Order: sequence, then structure tokens, then C-alpha cells
Amino acid sequence: MKLTRARGCLLGLAAGDALGRPVENLSPEEIARRHGRLTEIEPGKGGTDDTEYTIFAASLLCRYGPAMTPADVAREYREQIIPNIDGPMRGAGFSELGAVQALRRGLEPPMSGMWHQHGWSDGLAMRAAPYGIFATGDPGEAARLVAVDGVVSNSVEGVYGGQAVAAAVAVAMTGASPGDVVEAGIAAVPEDSWTSRNLRAAVSAVAAGSVERLYQAVVVRHYPWTDLAPEAVALAFAGYLMGAGEVEDSVVSAANLGRDADTTAAIAGALAGAGRGEIAVPERWAREIGPVTGRCLPVVAGRHVLDVATELVAATENRAAGGARGRAVAGARPAAGVPERAVAVDRSAGSSRSRSEG
Amino acid sequence: MSSGDRIQGAFIGLAIGDAAGWPAARHRSALLAPWSRRLERELDAFAEEHRVTTLPVPFTLNQPVEPLAIGPSDDAEWLAWTALTIHQDRAEAFGGLAGRTDLRVRISVRAALDNLAAGKAPPASGHDNPHHFDDAAAIRAVAFGAAAGNAAADGPCAAVPAGRRRAAVPADGPHAAVPADGRRAAVPADGAAATAEAGLRAVVRADASVTNAGDGVHAALAMAVAIAVLVAGGTMAAAVEAALAELPEDTAIGHASRTALVVARRAGDPFAAVPALDAALLDHVYSYGVAAAHTVPVALALAEVSGGSLSAAVPAAACLPSLADSAPALTGALTGAFTGYRALPEGWRAAARTLTGCGLPELAGTDLIDIAGGLA
Repeated sequence: MKLTRARGCLLGLAAGDALGRPVENLSPEEIARRHGRLTEIEPGKGGTDDTEYTIFAASLLCRYGPAMTPADVAREYREQIIPNIDGPMRGAGFSELGAVQALRRGLEPPMSGMWHQHGWSDGLAMRAAPYGIFATGDPGEAARLVAVDGVVSNSVEGVYGGQAVAAAVAVAMTGASPGDVVEAGIAAVPEDSWTSRNLRAAVSAVAAGSVERLYQAVVVRHYPWTDLAPEAVALAFAGYLMGAGEVEDSVVSAANLGRDADTTAAIAGALAGAGRGEIAVPERWAREIGPVTGRCLPVVAGRHVLDVATELVAATENRAAGGARGRAVAGARPAAGVPERAVAVDRSAGSSRSRSEG
Repeated sequence: MSSGDRIQGAFIGLAIGDAAGWPAARHRSALLAPWSRRLERELDAFAEEHRVTTLPVPFTLNQPVEPLAIGPSDDAEWLAWTALTIHQDRAEAFGGLAGRTDLRVRISVRAALDNLAAGKAPPASGHDNPHHFDDAAAIRAVAFGAAAGNAAADGPCAAVPAGRRRAAVPADGPHAAVPADGRRAAVPADGAAATAEAGLRAVVRADASVTNAGDGVHAALAMAVAIAVLVAGGTMAAAVEAALAELPEDTAIGHASRTALVVARRAGDPFAAVPALDAALLDHVYSYGVAAAHTVPVALALAEVSGGSLSAAVPAAACLPSLADSAPALTGALTGAFTGYRALPEGWRAAARTLTGCGLPELAGTDLIDIAGGLA
């Protein structure tokens, strides 16, 4: 059960990323004008940074497990991300590029996440789902672990946004109701925070059935960028609630709310996919999700979210079985001298990608 | 030199710096008809499309030319507004602006006014804010610092002990005016002074929290105490030291301020420090340049390494294009408060004192000297 939820979570995330990609930064009105109601992934285009950074985060978890420290994450940035940046840093949000520049200066976390001004970015929220899978049923642990990664690139509200998503995924992985999932996300962040205020406002706006009220409460009107975590996470949770936790309805609802649509639909897809499992991700969407190209993060090129989900579950079960606690899963650490990917893929450990190949 | 002259120096110094940065003309062109600004945007697109390096500048085809003369813009207006409302509750003062459609304001202020209109009070109005980190409150803090410094200079329980005041200000020039005794001047002389300092922090925090949080609030506190020290007759070294005491080392602004001082001191003079400051502080990742963690460190470093000379420090600040909207203004406030109004260059004093209302329309025609006089 855990495996299908984990695979549903990351497949839902990748599908949301791909569905939302062409309407990122648009208003709901503009999306309606161009697409009517957007329900189909643009064929052959795939997803964006959301999926690729999620795979990177999962690889960190497989490698370091619960003992991971911000210094480990910073070292991985320096070894796996920074040397591979050749020319433009494609798909990177403000917080990722800001963190890379801070790390290049020699700053260490948490200053690396504070040095740039975009601590509130949704760059952590977009890659938070693996922490929820890893800490299934333990939202507090999910929130703790995601912050270990988060302080490298984000601060304050950007970290809270990641914590809300990770905690909510941890509870969605147990099959809890969407209401309980969202409550777990809210409970993971300080009550006196922008994230908490926005999430609570989103819950009441959805209960009132009013997109207008949702927008008034959580969307910053006079700001040109849409990657504010308090806003994006609130829209994502709203989409998930509007879709009653069903994968297709949740992802479509989030994407059609616009703003940072690839990220919000990815988060909604992660929550719904964790709750409903791999089988609930529409077949026509799953067919569009192939291995990532590494367009944003070359280090993850060729990885498929379904394999990554399987590895994550294997890593948690390995941990539960008492083996290599706090260390990498067996076989995950490449031998010395082998050119490193963030995680070496043990293909035999994962089930096949029957759906994407079928 | 009186504290009144130093208050005027802080105000006009800020306005001179505001006028010296290239964005001033952009702000002041708000007084022209919208089509005239639209044409400028089209010419910018033309330059891009035709690959020509002849870039458009603000211009006035068929429009009055006065707005494009050198002069103050948004920062000087916000300083004046703060001085005019200084006795009002801060949330109430901003509440009076919420809902108005004729203002031109920073993103932090726009978001805060939207928050207030939606019933979100401070500090959430400043925290739930995409630009909580900007220097809007640091600019306003100059008014609170000036008022507090004036009270300290005149009162029986001066925040600056007489022994640590400067006897006189030497001629305006680099390094001329930092006495050997550069110790922090705002050390409380007694309980009453400590109370006054706590009161200054409380009101600055209340004001800053309406529009900002985190580094944006630290920045306001730092500017307020530095200006208070200077208006009370303290040294620039003492003012910088007092500012640093408000900027914790584990914040971006605290780290950046200490870094900026190191590289500027190493460079030796303000203009020489410009490339080093650019390299040490700016990553050029983000689309806006008003982060308090950039502009306040630059202002503190240039003010100190110039020895308090506006004529040396402000042009250097204006040479950092991405910070040119407000770093020169903050630099001008510090150096002007140090030398006093009468020591500032005469041509600039005349050009900078009259507000145009490009941000706050009701301030059109206001003389900043009158406003500063209201605090003295």
C-alpha cells in the first residue's frame, strides 16, 4: 500500500507539473480564455524544475536518511548542482539560484538561505513531497527533515511552505481525508505565520465555494512574481480540497487557479496521489510522464519519478528493518571513482514502469 | 552647529541622495502624462529590437520639462510624510493611506496598504509581504532618529555625553571628521537616556512593522539610532557602531553590513570601494534593488569611509546602478546629519528641497526645510 501511495504521490506531482507548465503565471481568466478548462498535458513536453528538484531531494533522503544535516545538503549542492551549471541555470527559481550564489560565495546554511531576498520562494514546497513519503504517518518528522534541506535555500516562510507540504504528504500517505491532510499541513507551521494564515483562509474560501475570496485572501495583487510560498501552497491546498482529494480533479483545479500553476498543480498532485495511489493517476497523464531530461538539473537526467518513489520506499523499509540507519541504502552510494549521480539507481529494486511503458 | 542644522542636514542630505540616483527621473516622470512614459517604454523596446545602444532617457515631448530637472522623488516624500505624521499612531497613519488610488509606493508599502485594507493589522501587514525585506522603513526611520537625536541634544539627559561630542565639524572632506575617540555615542548617560533610547526603538519598530519584517525592521532600527547619534553630535564612527549594534550578525543585513565595512575600509575611499561593494554584496539574481540588506550596508560603509562627506559618499552610492534608488538617499541622510545642512553643497541644497508630489501628491510644492524645522 505504501508503495502505490508513494508512486502515486510522485507521479501525481510530475503530472501536475506537466499540466500546469504552459499556464504558469497566468490568471484564471486568461487560462479560461486560452484553454477553456485545462485538463490535458501538452504532449511530449513533460515537466519542469518541480519534478527534477523533487528527484534531487529524494536522492538526498536515500543517501543520508534521517541523520541528514544542512551541511550535507550544502555539500551536495556544491558537488552535484553547482559544477553542472553550464551557462543558464534553467528552471531555477529565485531561491535556488540565490542559494547557489550564496554557496559559491562560501556562505553556509542557514546564511545561504537568508543571504538572498527570496527566502519565501516556493522552491522548497515544490520539492517537499519526498520528505512526506519518507516520514509516512509522522508529520512532525517530515517537517523536521524538510527543513534540514530547506534552510540551505530558503528562510522563514519558504521553509514553512515546505514543512506544510511535507507534513501534509506524510498524513496523505496514510489515506487520511483531505480535511485531515490539510489540517496536518497547517499544524506543522507556526500559527502566527503568513503560511498558516493563508492556509486557513484557503480552507474557509473553499468551504464557501468562492475562488474570488480565495484570491483576495492569498494572492498578492501588486507583485509581479508568483513564486511566493505562502501563496502557492495555499492555492495548491485549495485545489486539492476543491478536487476532494481525487487526483484528476485536484490537479486540474490547482492548475486552473493559475499563478505558479506548475508548482501548485504539482503539490496538489502529490497530496492527491499519496492519498489515492498510483492507479488513481489518469492513464493518459501517466503516459506523458517519462524519465526527466535533466533540463533544469543535469544530475537527475534519466531518472523516472516512479523509480525514485520505489527507491524511497525501499530506503524507509531498510531503515525500519534496522539496517544502515542514517546511512545510505545498500547500493545507493556509488563506488569511489565512479562519476556520481546523486543516487545510483538500483533498477532491480524497483518495480517496472509498466504504466508508462504499457 | 546646532542639532536643528543637523536635522536639516539629515533631511536635505537624504533628498540630495534621492535626487542623485538615476531612478529619481523615472519617479518624477510620473508627473508627466501617461502617454509620455508609454513612449519611453516603446523606445526601450525599439532599442532592443533594432539592436541599438542609444538608450532612451526620460523626456517630455509636449509636456512641462520641470519634473525632469534634478530633484528629489519618492524617498524624500516618505521622509516628509513621516515627519508630518510623527505624533500619530503608526498603524493609524498608514490606515489613512489605505484604499487611496493616487499614490505611487514601493511594493512593500503597496502590499501593506492592501493588508491594512483587508483588515490585517501590523505586524502581519509587514510580515505577510513579498518585500518585507526592503528599506522603506529605513528611509522613514530617519525622521524618528532625527527627532530623538534632537531631544537628546537639547535635553538634560543627553543620549550623547558631552565628552563624546564633536567640538566642531571640520571642512567637508574625506577622513576629515572622524575623531580618534570613535566610541559609540549613544551609550545611555543615565536612566532617562536609556528610556529615551528604548522609546525610539519602540516607535521605529511600530512604524517599520506596518510595512516590513525581519531585515526591513532591523534596517529601520539601525538607521534611526545612527541618525540619532549624529543629530545629537556624535561621530560617524559612533553612529556606525550604534547601527551595527541593531544588526545581529546572524541576519543577512548584519552579515552584509560587516562585510561592506571591511571591503570599503580596505578600498580606502568611497569611489574606490564601489566595485568591491558590488562584488561583496550583490548577486544580481533578483529583479529589484531596494533590499535593506544591500542598501543600508552600502550607506553605512560609504558614510564611514568618506569620513562623513556627502560629496564623496553619495556619488559613490549612485554608482551602484541596482541600488541607486535608495542607497544614495540613505547615504545622504547619514552624511548630511553628520555635517549639518549649512555644510552641504549649495547647488544641491537648492535643487533638493522642494518636493514634487510624484509619490504622495499632497506633498507637491512642500519645502523639506520647513518639514525638518518642525522637528527641531
